[in-house]
Amino acid sequence: MKYILMMNGTKTDFGEYAKWSKQDMEANVAFMRAFSKQLKDEGVFVATEGLGWPGQAKLVRASKDGTPITDGVFPESKEFLAGYWIVDVESPEQAYKIAARASAAPGPGGAPSNMPIEVRQVLGSHSDLGL
Amino acid sequence: MKYILLMSGTKAGVDTYVAWSKKDVDAHMAVLKSINKELTESGEFVGTEGLARPDRAIVVRGQKAGMPITDGIFPEAKEFLLGYWIVEVKTPERAYEIASRISVAPGPGGVPTNMPIEVRQIVSPSAKSQ
Repeated sequence: MKYILMMNGTKTDFGEYAKWSKQDMEANVAFMRAFSKQLKDEGVFVATEGLGWPGQAKLVRASKDGTPITDGVFPESKEFLAGYWIVDVESPEQAYKIAARASAAPGPGGAPSNMPIEVRQVLGSHSDLGL
Repeated sequence: MKYILLMSGTKAGVDTYVAWSKKDVDAHMAVLKSINKELTESGEFVGTEGLARPDRAIVVRGQKAGMPITDGIFPEAKEFLLGYWIVEVKTPERAYEIASRISVAPGPGGVPTNMPIEVRQIVSPSAKSQ
């Protein structure tokens, strides 16, 4: 079963992250790199991506003539996806355990950040939605 | 440049979708499939995934005695990711254009849903190799 592990944050959270010291940020990035490598070695890695800053996020709808209408204004409370991993595991519990490891990524001063990781199953096909 | 097009919705929004008729769902999916096919043919398609319903979402925060601390309670207003596309395009404008086409995929009775699609650039170092 494939699961997606998502890191989300508000613009305020991203702002806090941007204030971390260079050393703290490097330690965090080093952890993330090592984590992805461990997942590969464990044979559960499918994919990982990091997304651009929320300040560049656009919300797109179509106008009447079909051309895109873009908007960059979001509610303060909006949670932006910061990045994700997709893992292929035997059980949801295994996905939660991997998420707990990601959650322990070091924050300021090297203390575990305990950031929340949202865990969702990735569907094999649309019919898995049970519609 | 790689962009991710995110489709999100609240639990209430997803409940509305689940209540669509089979015919409406099929028409909706047919349009999304044809967009995927066109993007594949133009060489812009990288990937797409759909996520399980939000009522099965879990948030993990830290661990205790080696076990993950899990929680399934989210704010009412929380927007859950429902699915995404990743496209490789020459400009952000092209990503917006693709997003707007997804946005007008038909809803109940064939009326365009006009669902908002969030467009974000992918910046991971792996962006070129994957």
